[in-house]
Amino acid sequence: MIKIHNITMKYKGSNHPAIKDINVDIDRGEFVFLVGPSGCGKSTFIRLLIRELVPTKGDIFIAGHDIVNMRRWKVPQLRRNIGCVFQDYKLLPNKTAYENVAFALEVIGKPSRIIRAQVPEVLRLVGLEDKSESYPDELSGGEQQRVSIARAFVNRPAIILADEPTGNLDPATSGDIMALFNKINRTGTTVLVATHDREMVDNMRKRVLALEEGTLIRDQQRGVYGYEE
Amino acid sequence: MSFRPFYFIKESLKSFRKNWIINIAAITTVALSLLVLGFFMFVAFTANSWMKMTEQKVEVVVFLNDGVPAESVEAMQSEIMSWDDVRKVTYVSKDQALERLKKEFKDSDMLSMIEGNPLPASFEISLKSPDKADDVVKRLKGRSEIESIRHDRQTVERLINFTKMARWVGIIFAGLLAFASLVLIANAIRLAIYARRKEIAIMRLVGASNWFIRWPFLLEGITQGLIGALIAVILLSIIQTAINENVKKFLAFLPNGLPTQTYYQLIFALVIAGIMIGAAGSALALRRFLRV
Repeated sequence: MIKIHNITMKYKGSNHPAIKDINVDIDRGEFVFLVGPSGCGKSTFIRLLIRELVPTKGDIFIAGHDIVNMRRWKVPQLRRNIGCVFQDYKLLPNKTAYENVAFALEVIGKPSRIIRAQVPEVLRLVGLEDKSESYPDELSGGEQQRVSIARAFVNRPAIILADEPTGNLDPATSGDIMALFNKINRTGTTVLVATHDREMVDNMRKRVLALEEGTLIRDQQRGVYGYEE
Repeated sequence: MSFRPFYFIKESLKSFRKNWIINIAAITTVALSLLVLGFFMFVAFTANSWMKMTEQKVEVVVFLNDGVPAESVEAMQSEIMSWDDVRKVTYVSKDQALERLKKEFKDSDMLSMIEGNPLPASFEISLKSPDKADDVVKRLKGRSEIESIRHDRQTVERLINFTKMARWVGIIFAGLLAFASLVLIANAIRLAIYARRKEIAIMRLVGASNWFIRWPFLLEGITQGLIGALIAVILLSIIQTAINENVKKFLAFLPNGLPTQTYYQLIFALVIAGIMIGAAGSALALRRFLRV
């Protein structure tokens, strides 16, 4: 599903590459944690996958498409197939939970018949069917993140990318959110979660990719966050 | 698929309400610049049609001495007629001249004071081009049959200069103002982009097509240009009516404003110019502030 071949990413004006010679293959339906301390290149990694950044070197294939050499007008099509979740939720404050999710479908031109069918369904999946008329500031952090996950998943993408999705949440809520990602993963969706939540990673025993200073230092099936220091 | 008019119109209206001051400013400058452009074009067109009218009128009038025999008159007429610069020569006899005078002053009792016929016979010479008047006058001078020569060269020249000036002043002023309105529209669009940056970020994230993101802003700029143009057109037609009515009161011989067809062409050109200014302004803002 995701094939990363020898990518290096160097930001302009910086001497050290943010990502250095990384090779990773992620299969369809996998659940992968991307771990490492702040500034290790996790976010850069995710931004490369949605082509917000273009690597300095190397190739990235998503579902067989070469996204490094992809034409600019094709990028939206790529992004429709990847759902993104962020630490700060990125919800629109003047829209209800329902409208926030519906917005993602509206702007890619889905007919309203489909929107009316899919939005309640995905809100039910994330457990927010009762809160669909609430505005973000009326929702708890965990609930806001569920809305954001619903928005990422409503178009049934093949891949979900999450960048520190539990960074602002307490441990119990974080557990719920991870359970939700697990549920989504069981529908056959490939899930990649960047996190530095050690407890979560250790509990779930999924594949772990560990980054340090831009280098992939470990790729472990049923792994843990890190070796005890 | 990515062009959905109602969605875009809704979004444009929303953003207009949010930033109405800068939007009004942008529309006002568009209106002002097109009004100036339109006004000077109107003046230039009018002056042009005066000029055409003057060109068709007599440009050189040659007054003849009394008692020139008919054969010499005829010979002279055909000689003048044979010159390259001359388009038409009309002979006006003493009787015809008096006849004309009577017609022009038929309501006045001035005529009763005239005894006999003091008016001279004349040739009215119209030229192919008004600036050839000098040559013709030079050639005619000094002939014994001729009493005096009158020509309207200066008037014509002034009219030509005035038209040219009106055109240039109009183009320069309108150009400056158009540039100002372009910048203001770009600024209004920039604010609109800034106000919706979160939505734009999410749109990009979920894969809205680039044109889907751009359209509302482009449409907003075009609408501003269009509204500005319509205001300019309305003001211009008010001004034109006012000028026509007042000028006609004391200069009845002037042509009646612009021909309808020219007037519609002018309006059409202004509306197109407004739309282009709007589109260019928003394109400028999109290029600089909306990297999709």
